[in-house]
Amino acid sequence: MRKHCTMNELLALREGEGTAWAREHLDGCSFCQRELELLHGRVAALRALPAIRPPRDRWTVVREQAAREQRGTRLRRTAWGALALAASVTLMVGVKALNSPDGPMPGAEETAMTPELTELMSRSRDLEAALESYGTDGRVLNARAAGIIAGLEDRIAVVDAGIVQAGVRRDTRGDLVDLWRSRVDLMDALVNAHVTRAAYVGF
Amino acid sequence: MTRATTLGVVVLDDIAIERARTGDLGALERVYRAYEGLVYSLARRICRTEEDAEDVLQETFLEVCRSIRGFRGTGPGSLTAWVKRVAASKALMRIRRQKYRDADELPEDGSLAAQRPPDVGLQLDLEAALTRLSETSRAVVWMHDVEGYTHEDIAEMMGKTVSFSKSQLARAHTRLRGWLGEE
Repeated sequence: MRKHCTMNELLALREGEGTAWAREHLDGCSFCQRELELLHGRVAALRALPAIRPPRDRWTVVREQAAREQRGTRLRRTAWGALALAASVTLMVGVKALNSPDGPMPGAEETAMTPELTELMSRSRDLEAALESYGTDGRVLNARAAGIIAGLEDRIAVVDAGIVQAGVRRDTRGDLVDLWRSRVDLMDALVNAHVTRAAYVGF
Repeated sequence: MTRATTLGVVVLDDIAIERARTGDLGALERVYRAYEGLVYSLARRICRTEEDAEDVLQETFLEVCRSIRGFRGTGPGSLTAWVKRVAASKALMRIRRQKYRDADELPEDGSLAAQRPPDVGLQLDLEAALTRLSETSRAVVWMHDVEGYTHEDIAEMMGKTVSFSKSQLARAHTRLRGWLGEE
C-alpha cells in the first residue's frame, strides 16, 4: 500500500484532477498537503524570476537579412510577371503566325511555344513554389550560404532580363529554350541551397 | 504608434502592427523592440547557453518578419501570443537539433517520501536548479508553469505525446523539489 502522493498525483491535484484515492489521501495527510503547498510556491517563484535582457542587439542582423529577403522576393515576383508577359507574347505571335490565312508564316515554328518550352516554364514555376515554401524556414543563413544564394539570385535576374528581351526581339525558339533551361538550372540550384540549410532535425 | 508602460515595456498599437504587416522595416523594428526582452527571456530559460538563446531571438524575429503578413490576429495581445509561440517553437527546434537527452532517470518509486532528505550543503537557488534540469524538462516546466501552455500545446510543439509532457513536468518538479529542499 502506498504511503503518499507521487509528484504526478500532486500535479494532477493542482489542476483540479487527480484520482479519488489521491483526493481522499490529501484531505487527511499533512505531508502531502505540505508538498502541494511547496509545489504552488515553487511555481510562484518560477513566475517571479526576473526577465533577462539580451546581451547584444540582434536587430541589425535581423534587419539586414529581412531586407535582403524582401528584395529577393520582390525581384522574383517582378521577374515572374515580366516572364509571363513575354511568354504570352511569344505564344500569341507564334499561334498567329502558324494560323495565318496564307499558311504558316516563315519562321513561325521557330517562335511558337513548344512542349519543351512549356515544360521548362512549368518546371520553373514549380521551383518558384518550392522556394516559397522554404522561405518560411526560420533558420539563420551563415555568410557562405548567404553569398551562394545572393549569387544565384543575381544570375537568375540576368537570365530573366534575357528572356524578356528575347520575347521583345522575337528571338528563335532555340534561344528561348536555352534561356529557360538556364533559368530552371539556376532555380534548381537556388532551391538546393535553401534545402541544404534546412537540415532534418529530430529528437 | 507605441507607448511605454511604467515597466519600460513598449506596447504596440494596431497601426504599428498593421504597418509591420506590410513589411515596413521601421515598424518591424518597433515589434522587435517591444518583444526582444520577452523572447530572449523565454529562450534563455529553455536553452542551455546564452549563445543559443541569442540565436533563438534572431531566428524568431526573422520568422516574424517573414510571416507577419499572414498574422490574422487583432490587437497587441494576440500579437504577443503569436510572437511567444514562434519563440517557443524556435527554442524547441534548437533543443531537438542538439539531440540532447536527459540521461538521468527517476527512481523506480517516484513517490516524494522515497526521496532522500535534501542535503543542505547541496541546496540550490531556483535559477541554479533550473539550469541543472535537462533542456527538455526545463522547457516543459517553463512552458507549462510559467508561460501557461497546456500539455496538449507542448506535445504538439515538441512532436511528442501529452503523457511525455506530463511525465517531463513531474520529473522536473521531483528534481527541483530534491535540489531546493524545504524551499
